[in-house]
Amino acid sequence: MNTGLEWNILLPAWLAGMLVLASHVPLGRRVLERGIIFIDIAIAQFAGLGVILAHFLGWQGGWRVQAAALLLAAVGALLLHGTERRWPRLQEAIIGVSFVLVASVAILLLAHDAHGGEHLREMLVGQILWTTWDDLPLLALLNGLVLAAWFGGLRKSALGFYLLFALAITASVQVVGVYLVFASLIVPALVAHALRGGRALLAGYLTGAVGYALGLLASARWDLPAGAVIVCVLAVAGFSVAAWRGLVCRRPPPVLD
Amino acid sequence: MRIVSTLASLGLALGLAAPVHAALEVLACEPEWAALVREIAGDRARVASATTPSQDPHRIEARPSLIARARNADLLVCTGAELEAGWLPLLQRESGNARIQPGSAGHFEAADFVELMDKSQRVDRDMGDVHAAGNPHIHLDPDNVARVADALATRLARLDAANAAHYAARNRDFQNRWREAMQGWRVAAAPLKGVPLATHHKDWVYLARWLGMRVETTLEPKPGIEPSAAHLAEVLRRTRERPIRMIVYTNYQSPRPSRWLEEKTGAPAVRLPYTVGATPRATDLITWMDEVVDTLLAALK
Repeated sequence: MNTGLEWNILLPAWLAGMLVLASHVPLGRRVLERGIIFIDIAIAQFAGLGVILAHFLGWQGGWRVQAAALLLAAVGALLLHGTERRWPRLQEAIIGVSFVLVASVAILLLAHDAHGGEHLREMLVGQILWTTWDDLPLLALLNGLVLAAWFGGLRKSALGFYLLFALAITASVQVVGVYLVFASLIVPALVAHALRGGRALLAGYLTGAVGYALGLLASARWDLPAGAVIVCVLAVAGFSVAAWRGLVCRRPPPVLD
Repeated sequence: MRIVSTLASLGLALGLAAPVHAALEVLACEPEWAALVREIAGDRARVASATTPSQDPHRIEARPSLIARARNADLLVCTGAELEAGWLPLLQRESGNARIQPGSAGHFEAADFVELMDKSQRVDRDMGDVHAAGNPHIHLDPDNVARVADALATRLARLDAANAAHYAARNRDFQNRWREAMQGWRVAAAPLKGVPLATHHKDWVYLARWLGMRVETTLEPKPGIEPSAAHLAEVLRRTRERPIRMIVYTNYQSPRPSRWLEEKTGAPAVRLPYTVGATPRATDLITWMDEVVDTLLAALK
């Protein structure tokens, strides 16, 4: 195939996926453990709202918009941290409500001024194939920071988890989009949920790395949209591993650590 | 028959009885047509645009004010060619306004009066296949704007016969100014002739043809659908075979794809105002195209 493999396209995209996975696999395990599956989508919406607010303040492009996105994501994380402490059993519902609430506020803000709408879409539907080599250092720095802080001790604090989560999601959603962020968080965590410690992380990373690689190759080979096909491959990979491990035989799931 | 003639005479009577300044209510689908109505109708029409310059006309969100405007509109001025297929039929139905239903005189579609590009159903990936009717971004060809202006003047005269002379005179004036402006652009844009470029979406092919530029490849043939790695490999292969000088995208599109190609090829990514109002300078059709041509020329340096 003449049009098939162009490493200059696939490699930066795959590396971006690996950087996203680096932080999302450990964070995803915590998300699954706490049963707050949709928190990433809610936090991404908060970040999107930050972009719109930056627009209303007349801030143009660049770091100030990113700062606004990160600030709102952090505010959202703090709010959700607060609600979890107060109403732990209602947390999933509160996350769902905050998602639709923030998304609707964004729509209302943009109702009479469509200028920010494109920024919002840009922010939430980042497309992995547009990753350039220039995008990678910043993504590496941010995800490295998250990882360092996580294993440096912040994973023991609930507040630390929420804040690191806000940082990781704000960075990754713009590069790979909401769907891939969700899949990168949850699928490896599902695959590894019966394992502990280092083996769990290894299983998560391997599933993710193989899923991204096969997805990108499929996109090149069969001319398919990259993000969507990676999500499908990740899901199939996760399901296969789960089936292989006999999880579909209704064995009671082991207690998580 | 009697009812029809009674209604007709009633309408005529109302028309005659109405004050001279009773303006036509016009709802334009896009800012470029709102601007054109303003040129030709002047104060005889109250014009609103359903979309803003920073919005992708392929999709908009319904608001009560939009339905209210459609309800009162005497004339709907849209592009047609399926550009508004995602929302206009719904708006027309919701409006319950018989004057602007498809096929009636109050539904003006600019694409009916020009030759559409990409009309053939070629199975060429790079042409995309979103619009089976042909490429709807017709206002990016200045000759098309002149043709649509003539047709619009005729339509306005038909809907508002009392002001027919007014519309004809304003159209003549616009055509003169537009012709002069076109001459200016052709002279100024002479260095752009034969320059190869890539586009984000296939919207700019009209202007490229008008200026004699060569569109070598398109990054995102289907708006809103992410491309495949295979398509991008093909894009890179083409740009290596036939190097491009610039990559153009509109103000409402994400700059990321164009920057991606900029990194790969070294050709600059150029953001062009898609329509009237997209930049502070582009206050009407002529100043808008002034800015487009100037931006392209600046990118060449």
